[in-house]
Amino acid sequence: MNRQSKIPTAGAAGHRPGSVAGSGGFSRYSSALLLFLVFCVVIVVGIVVIHDVRSTVVEAQEMYAGSVLGLHRIGDLQYAAQETRRSTFYALSTNDSNLQVKYADQSREADHLVIAGVSEYLREAKTPGELEVGKRLHHDWSAYLSVRDEVLASILEGSTKEAVDLDLKDGVRLFDRVREDLEDIDRLYDDQASQRLAHVAASSRRTMIRVVGVLGITMVFAIVSVWAIQRSKMQSAIQLARLQTEFVASVSHELRTPLTVISSAADNIADGLVEGKEEIKNYGSAIRYQSLQMIDLVNEILLFAATKDAKNPYNLRPLRVSDLVDSVLDRTSELVKRAGFTVEVQIDPDLPCIVGDMSAVSQCLQNLLVNAVKYSGRSRWIGVRAFLSDSEVHKGKRVCIAVQDRGIGIHSSELSRVFEPFYRSAAVTAEQIHGTGLGLSLSRSLAQAMGGDLSVASEPEVGSVFVLHLQIAEEHKLPIADVASGPDATVKK
Amino acid sequence: MPRWVALLIVFGGAGILAAAISLAAGLPRPAPPESSAASDQNLAIVVNVSNPTENLSMGELRKIFLGERSHWPNGRRITLVMIEPGHPERAAVLNSIYQMNEKDFSYHFLHGLFTGEVFVSPKTLATPVGVRKFIFNVPGAIGYLRPSDVDSSVKVIRIDEHFPNEKAYPLHLLPPLAK
Repeated sequence: MNRQSKIPTAGAAGHRPGSVAGSGGFSRYSSALLLFLVFCVVIVVGIVVIHDVRSTVVEAQEMYAGSVLGLHRIGDLQYAAQETRRSTFYALSTNDSNLQVKYADQSREADHLVIAGVSEYLREAKTPGELEVGKRLHHDWSAYLSVRDEVLASILEGSTKEAVDLDLKDGVRLFDRVREDLEDIDRLYDDQASQRLAHVAASSRRTMIRVVGVLGITMVFAIVSVWAIQRSKMQSAIQLARLQTEFVASVSHELRTPLTVISSAADNIADGLVEGKEEIKNYGSAIRYQSLQMIDLVNEILLFAATKDAKNPYNLRPLRVSDLVDSVLDRTSELVKRAGFTVEVQIDPDLPCIVGDMSAVSQCLQNLLVNAVKYSGRSRWIGVRAFLSDSEVHKGKRVCIAVQDRGIGIHSSELSRVFEPFYRSAAVTAEQIHGTGLGLSLSRSLAQAMGGDLSVASEPEVGSVFVLHLQIAEEHKLPIADVASGPDATVKK
Repeated sequence: MPRWVALLIVFGGAGILAAAISLAAGLPRPAPPESSAASDQNLAIVVNVSNPTENLSMGELRKIFLGERSHWPNGRRITLVMIEPGHPERAAVLNSIYQMNEKDFSYHFLHGLFTGEVFVSPKTLATPVGVRKFIFNVPGAIGYLRPSDVDSSVKVIRIDEHFPNEKAYPLHLLPPLAK
């Protein structure tokens, strides 16, 4: 093993934690996103509907208030005008000067109300028609008042005949004109009320169409969303079932091969076909090797199940990276040697200790090395590099251990799925590379449980780099574990 | 005493005196003693604001109140307004203008209307407010009121070129004190 050689792509992979893929929650996230979208649409629709209904109600209220106020005003004007004339006639009906003065007062009070009402109408008039009829009413009322004053004077003087003559000559005619003006104003109010009513009705129809439209769209959107969610769930269930089936088949296959070897060896020995001490020794070695394979497989499955248990405790201790790498390389040396691989190791000097569970970190690295052996194709090279990384994603410095191969690589569409449990790519299955699909999932779970992470960068037919990100141990806090002596042993730094 | 000190005292004293005089001149002067009391005891002759007449002699006023004139110079018919018996204003008018008692007053108008010597029959109102409102409504009306009952709705005319608040005004609410 050459510890001085460089692995140029390993560092690059270490700085690309963005390629770290999510694990198996696509359906759940997409469902939540769809529900959020439906919620947003419902909120927006609700706001639009409320705004529309409110504007229609306000419009109707304004119309009602305007109509009522208009009718009230015109009614007041008509009453005050009649009262002016009526009081004048009351004065005519008595010879008592005191009563005549009282009726004259009443008549003047009423005419003041009319003048105030006409002024207000003119002040608030908006259309040319309103202004014209307002001015005409003002003019006609002034003309009538001058006649009324003469009539009142004649009555108070005691010239009843003269008063009646004056009223018949000019008063009746002028008051009729005033009445016509008031009727014109009334008609204008009616026209305006009709226009407003038509406007409100149109607005109401428009609102109704909008409400129905947006509700329809919302309903369609909701149905589509529910359908998509159900479909997504169904696909997830189908995929899970397929993965489980594949897992069972794979595990069965993985178990059957060593069992077949063991069974055949046992049969040969039992049938007396094996002769000689050396041959029996070879058979024993084969049986032991196959048994160890089975034990490793069962241990991996059990470990995967254990990582799913949140209560599973880890013995986190400071670990020297070089000791860790050496230990793992020692454990996998037989496999690497038998497969004919060359391992290049590069560990940066002055690398700080990492914090982690020794067996868990070793398991991670071992899985990565075994995978590199399995998926290297015709290449017989593996690179291991340990370095310090200043990661923005992890907000601080981390120690990274990268395991690189020049093998078959992983397609970009599969990068996000390689950490899913039981996942195995179609290409790998087609090439009959055995495995359970648990190794990477297990490694990432272990790394995350220790506050670290596992990322991947890969290119088909070029190779892959798996980077284990680990936390730096705070110095003098805990004694450094002695990797060589086992999980519980510690040595002084 | 030095000369300049004497001059300073003289000019200073003169300045202070001048300031005191000017301050006294700026203060409101008290009203003439007879003004308000006298005008309150006089009787104002009032007409409609549209009436152009500004002044009447005592003789013209008597003719109008006796009903011997029927129209104003502007052509408006004269309407005489009296207040009901019992009011001091009526007593003052009977005393100052008619120089009659109530009985003679009634007889004068009954007889005059019957013979055609009188053209105007007086209108009788119960209160000074009624009188004022009547005059306000009738352009040719003429009546009498205490100055305190007068407002802008009617017009006060001069009698013998005098307003009621003047000393030489001839119509008094109470008989004039003996000299």
